[in-house]
Amino acid sequence: MALPPPLRISVTPAELELIASEQLVEIVPLVAMERTAFISGAYGPLRPPTKCKVPIWMATNLKLKKKCHIVPPDWLNVEFLQERLNRETSVPEFSELPFRFAEIAKVLLDVASDDVSNPDKIRSLLQDIREARQAKSRDGLSVLDHSELSLPNLSSMEINEIRPFFIRSMGILTKLVREPNPQQMNQLE
Amino acid sequence: MVYLPPPQFASASRPSYGETYAKILAAHRRSPATSASSVIILVAPDVDALCAAHMLAELFKQDDVMHRIIPVSGHAELERMRDELATFTDLHTLILLNMGAILDLPSSEWFGEFSTQLTVHVIDSSRPQNLASIFGIGEGGNRIVIWDDGGAENLQEERKAWEALAYEPEPDSDEEDSELDSEEDVEGDDDDEGEDDAYDGGSSSGKRRSLGDGGRPNGKRRRIQRRPSRMSKEDRAQYSSRLEKYYMSGTWHGQSACGTIYLLATVLERVDNDLLWLAILGLTHQYTTSRISRNDYDKYHSIYYDEVARLNPPPPASAANDYDFKSQHPDDTSVYAADELRFMMFRHWNLYDAMYHSSYVATRLGIWKERGRKRLTGLLAKMGFSIPETQQPYPHMAKDLKLSLRQKLDQIAPEYGLVELSYPSFTRCYGYRSQPLSACDAVEAVSALLDVAGGVRLEIEVEGARNGGEWFGGGRVWNIERDEGRKEGEHEHIPPGGATAGVKTVNAMGGEAGMDQANGEGQDLQWWIKNFWTAFDALGDIVRLREALSLAMALHKAIVRQGSSIIDKHDIRTLRGHRVVTITQGPDLALFAHPGVLSRLALWLVEALRDRLSGTSTAYSRSKRKSLPLVLACLNEKEGTYLVVGVMAALNFGDVRKNEFGLAFLDAKERCNARTRHGSFDTSVLEINKDDLKVFLETLCDGGER
Repeated sequence: MALPPPLRISVTPAELELIASEQLVEIVPLVAMERTAFISGAYGPLRPPTKCKVPIWMATNLKLKKKCHIVPPDWLNVEFLQERLNRETSVPEFSELPFRFAEIAKVLLDVASDDVSNPDKIRSLLQDIREARQAKSRDGLSVLDHSELSLPNLSSMEINEIRPFFIRSMGILTKLVREPNPQQMNQLE
Repeated sequence: MVYLPPPQFASASRPSYGETYAKILAAHRRSPATSASSVIILVAPDVDALCAAHMLAELFKQDDVMHRIIPVSGHAELERMRDELATFTDLHTLILLNMGAILDLPSSEWFGEFSTQLTVHVIDSSRPQNLASIFGIGEGGNRIVIWDDGGAENLQEERKAWEALAYEPEPDSDEEDSELDSEEDVEGDDDDEGEDDAYDGGSSSGKRRSLGDGGRPNGKRRRIQRRPSRMSKEDRAQYSSRLEKYYMSGTWHGQSACGTIYLLATVLERVDNDLLWLAILGLTHQYTTSRISRNDYDKYHSIYYDEVARLNPPPPASAANDYDFKSQHPDDTSVYAADELRFMMFRHWNLYDAMYHSSYVATRLGIWKERGRKRLTGLLAKMGFSIPETQQPYPHMAKDLKLSLRQKLDQIAPEYGLVELSYPSFTRCYGYRSQPLSACDAVEAVSALLDVAGGVRLEIEVEGARNGGEWFGGGRVWNIERDEGRKEGEHEHIPPGGATAGVKTVNAMGGEAGMDQANGEGQDLQWWIKNFWTAFDALGDIVRLREALSLAMALHKAIVRQGSSIIDKHDIRTLRGHRVVTITQGPDLALFAHPGVLSRLALWLVEALRDRLSGTSTAYSRSKRKSLPLVLACLNEKEGTYLVVGVMAALNFGDVRKNEFGLAFLDAKERCNARTRHGSFDTSVLEINKDDLKVFLETLCDGGER
């Protein structure tokens, strides 16, 4: 919420990325560190070469200083994403993906592309998945109904995209349904 | 006052690079007054030091050490900086890159008076090193640390001699001291005098690099004077001559500063491709500017070759035969070992130009004459390249020609006497952002930025403008693109003098010239700092580096133009074994008033003359080996001085000689009382008042009447 009020339509992607960086990811540390207390919690100890789970912000910091290797999460590989893409293009519902997959994937690919296998294939797969889901959410928006409120398997970035429009249109729809047009009622009678 | 052996000689009692680095970190972390000025790196303005500074900054950043990088242009600047540094209370580490090896650092003139918490690290590739800095142990001991490459292990004889002379002064030590003084008078590789006054009798006091006085309080000396054991006269003479031989044999270069820092990174186990690439750049720079011989280059090259193989995937087999590399995938930033042709930036130019501007090819064929140019086209024709094809920029050349280039060269070039056309080097890929860049091209680009990124007006060629290209008018003025980005339309709004002197626009040029004269020195000093930072940024940014390639090409064109005209007009005079050239006019006069550019011209000329003139040995040279001494003087109209550069080249290609011009210049200057100034750390570059030039040159060449 760092933008001035007129521009504050919704959360920005950068803020979403920050929130997503709180999640834990596994790393292979190259330096040793004791169990240290940070604001969000205590992490460590780091004992190379055993793996350890730390928040993504810490993993990014260590990686940029060449003090760790990041182990990509199990969904960030070609087979998993390929399978999900196939499901996206065949079935009309949204396929199941981790809630913040877009942000986490972006951060990890930027910082640790050498730790991820086949990064350019993964980038293109992610792009395809995003386009497929975007098409689906566009279609879904055109059949908005005042009572349908379940949106299974949407990811946080996608929710953020449609949130302003969705909220306002749902508001108008509910108003329309609650008070049907008096002229219409007169005509019917 | 301690020298660090390289890691291979390290042992428990002799700390090496890694331990010293850990000490720096510890000092940074534990000192309560740590601030951004606790660790300061002073950098000399050459490519090797620049790369080393980049590497060191990277290592510090990874360790969360706050540091400052300050460029220093010469000894005068260093003195000024020293005075400023004396006022910093939280300074605990000072690192000098490519400067200071020859200075007597423990003396009170330099860092003897600083507080004991300060450690001065000297990482310098120039030799000889000052023995007091290496071997001396004094109060506040171990404050000066010289990072050595193993050369100091061979100085045991000199060490003995120095210690003998330092610690056993005699009752008739006055005589001894004056003897020592008179030897050092002529030794002085670094000094900076006042600008206007004639520099005469004050020389001995000003320049004394007193070996015996380094760091010893007077009381102790007097006590030692009464020691019963005295050295015999013969011993003393022997020791002094040993030291004299060490200091007077000229200047040469040891391991590059980048190499030293790369060793440090290896010890810390933190090497990666970026550090390796910068180290390669430092080494290539040393080789292409003839600071190290081919043998030394091969030695270091093999080390880096192994490193490249260790850190990078093996190159695809198809790339082994041609000079065309392609990035394998968008994130490909690997370094490949590849042979490099001695053509000047041939991947960015057309083939004809590349061969024309390379000093190796050009001088063998004699391209300053029409006959030589015909030979060049003849060579190309024999290899199967027609003239329009050779005028094509390399990226647009026909593919089959590119592939067969190497083969044909190996076959046909020896007929023309071009035998050693390629040498092993490295190339780096930049993913899909840009074409792969070879090490020597990168070095050319960076040194062009360092020399002339700002402060000189140069016209560079726009691609496609030849042979009546799309846009008429072949050149545009070199312009540094800043991040703040002045768009074309805003030029009229820049006030005269401009907010930043680095952005040279055609409109603001007139205003800036006015400012130049008004500020004079102020503007002058600024340009090299801006150049330094432009080059520093370019090391990390491939886009800027590629832009700088065109600048480097324009620079080469100017150098070849000037060099050819010198040879054509037979401007080279021979004075008693020296070749002397004076440049007083020409289209690029302002360009050659820069020491870096002038040195390059000197190197080019030396290559050109190598086969045509016989070697001589100068009167004052220590060795009996013949070499090609060349003195080049260029007029700086604005200041009314001449910039003089002395180069000592070896007779054989690939060899280097120790450069004795530093001493010779000082000697000659003293004897003819010329008004001179040393502006840079390179002792063979000198600025002299224009009236004194003639006398100076004659005195120089008369040489060694000792």
